[in-house]
Amino acid sequence: MSVRERNGSAWLLPNDGTRTNHGLIERMRRYDDDDEVDIAIVGCGAGGAVLAQRLARKGWKVVAFDAGPHWDPDRDWVSDEAGSSHLYWTEPRVIAGSDPVPLGSNNSGRGVGGSTVHYAGYTPRFHPSDFATYSRDGVGCDWPISYEDLKPYYEQIEAELPVAGESWPWGDPHRYPHSPHPANAQGDLFRRGALALGIETKMGPVAITNGRFGNRPHCIYRGFCLQGCKVNSKGSTLITHVPDALAHGAEVRADSMVTRITLDAQGRATGVVYHRNGIERHQRAAVVAVAGYSIETPRLLLNSACSAFPDGLCNDFGFVGRHLMVQGAPQVGGRFSEEVRVYKAPPPEMSSEDFYETDPSKPYRRGFSIQTVAPLPNTWAEHVAAEGHWGVVLREYMRDYVHWIVLGALCEFLPHAHNTVTLADEKDRRGMPVARFSYSQGVNDRALVDASTAKMRAILEAAGAEETLVIDRYAHLVGGCRMARSERGGVVDHTLRSFAIPNLYITDGSVLPTQGSANPALTIMALAARAADLMAGPRR
Amino acid sequence: MRLPWRRGEQPSGPTPGGHVRFPGYDVLGQAPTWDAVTAGVVLARLVPRPACTFFTESEEAAARALADRFLAQDREPKVPVVEVIDERLAHKDFDGWRYEDMPPDDEAWRASLSALDDEARSRSGKPFAELPGDEQDGILADVQDAQTWHGMDASHVWNLWSRYILPAFYSHPWAWNEIGFGGPAYPRGYKNRGVGILEPWEKPEAHPRDPVPWGQWIESVKRERPRR
Repeated sequence: MSVRERNGSAWLLPNDGTRTNHGLIERMRRYDDDDEVDIAIVGCGAGGAVLAQRLARKGWKVVAFDAGPHWDPDRDWVSDEAGSSHLYWTEPRVIAGSDPVPLGSNNSGRGVGGSTVHYAGYTPRFHPSDFATYSRDGVGCDWPISYEDLKPYYEQIEAELPVAGESWPWGDPHRYPHSPHPANAQGDLFRRGALALGIETKMGPVAITNGRFGNRPHCIYRGFCLQGCKVNSKGSTLITHVPDALAHGAEVRADSMVTRITLDAQGRATGVVYHRNGIERHQRAAVVAVAGYSIETPRLLLNSACSAFPDGLCNDFGFVGRHLMVQGAPQVGGRFSEEVRVYKAPPPEMSSEDFYETDPSKPYRRGFSIQTVAPLPNTWAEHVAAEGHWGVVLREYMRDYVHWIVLGALCEFLPHAHNTVTLADEKDRRGMPVARFSYSQGVNDRALVDASTAKMRAILEAAGAEETLVIDRYAHLVGGCRMARSERGGVVDHTLRSFAIPNLYITDGSVLPTQGSANPALTIMALAARAADLMAGPRR
Repeated sequence: MRLPWRRGEQPSGPTPGGHVRFPGYDVLGQAPTWDAVTAGVVLARLVPRPACTFFTESEEAAARALADRFLAQDREPKVPVVEVIDERLAHKDFDGWRYEDMPPDDEAWRASLSALDDEARSRSGKPFAELPGDEQDGILADVQDAQTWHGMDASHVWNLWSRYILPAFYSHPWAWNEIGFGGPAYPRGYKNRGVGILEPWEKPEAHPRDPVPWGQWIESVKRERPRR
């Protein structure tokens, strides 16, 4: 079946230079709160939107809730950093631990499309080794599925986004549906340095059309991928899965914050409590799928505590909100005497996964990947200031902005039981307790940050950088409701159904037992597509 | 306002304090190529800002002095920074997180500004805003070096200041003129990408200078200066 036959999203978008099919939203099927829909999906990002599209195609009555708006890229997004904070989850949250992880702009989404709206667009697959890190390397934990179980779904999603990149030599070698984009200044210099050191680099993999795809145009290389793609070139689920879901009868209920999952006396989910326009409502549903990502999903389960589940839904064994993971994402800037002007290209361009796998000669297990990142001025200023510069020195570094390229690593930080999401005493404006995220690194984690930082510095110096500047930071969130073989090991089984409540699913990044050194979006989408396949056939 | 340019050159756009690194460059010359929504958001940064409503008068004075020293904004034209921060705090337009040991950002700002005044009074008997610049710098350098400062984790205070002051400054088109940034780029995009390649409207810089050795020298001189 062609991509268009199984997911018509790209052809449902307008081709007149505007970016939103308003008719599709106006004519969208709408359910009453009292209708028992087949599934209520909480969160319409990477996991939720894919699940909604797949189940709508199967004939399920679907309502996908999102706390934020149903975006129109023309009207709602700007080609500007500071003007894009509305794309992030900026409601209050508390961070703690010995290495607290800032939230908001870097690792959370709000609105239909979720964080795929402002992710860079890197969509690498996990490696086969990621599914068995404990048996292979004695660290992390094994997944209840293997790479082969997910592979067909990787292929499906890569075709639907679609992903552009060179033939991929790492992990399970594979090709991409769109040919690679051309390298720009940062890619050229990354490759120059890597070649000198015998390190392999490849363009991509990025969910950015190279050529027209349906009614989505070619990338215009404007550099604002992280601010929402106004071009409709970078694939977010807002344009890759929501249009097809709507065309097949799904309702996307935006601006609706789900605060509780309701249960009946038999311990089955009966629907969700949500807030819309300041009013609390209840939607009945035969099945509930939570896809609110690693902070909001545990928060919702914990806040839904009731007499049958006094410690929170599905939390009898204490796995809800546990084993949260971030990736260590140090960046190294390199100064070149030529002007490089990294703002003139998509930040995601080129990757190396040469250091992804465990190297037995090293004192640490697992590894890291290296990618181009291309910060815009506000982000670069944050980096310069984080190195301790302010006043005249800060200004002088910033005047030199056009000379710097930046490489970023993604280090596989291991799951630790002490890294948790819990409920804080503080409440949000609805009266719902806010999430408290506590994070502390382990010894292996720190070793990976040091190793990847040294490697990036070496690459930049080999490319001719005169100066380097190191930035310590994090990226991505996964875990918090891990997938496992039994309820003694996690919250959901390999079909993403919770062990504790037979009609409650979790279909987002929180189910990942480990995270590899890959950006997680593609894997989250593939897992949601697989879960949809394994759910029962048409319900009517 | 006098714009600095030389005979035969296109006038440079305004820059904070008149620092011209990219002669003849004015990002606002590209405004006609921006989409209307982006232009609305960016050009609004150029119009006069309403007076502060969140900060009290003494907090405003301390915040202005802090932002000026943090950004070395020592002469006109100045990018309005405190007004932007005040508006964010008034609307509780925060970043989506706080450290567990810090109050919400609006309260944290008040606490940090009042601590600046307390510190200045204990040293010189005057509020922070009324100290000479080098004494203000000395207090800030001590915050940067401290573990705890006036009962707060000093690094969390520094982080709070940075993440409000920096984006207020570097999202202003005058700052983009100073650093040669191309600004909004939709629907125009870029065609001349790559090392050393410019769009027809971009301007090369006049006097490149590696900031690292110079910055190390400045910072070492500042550190050697005796401080309390």
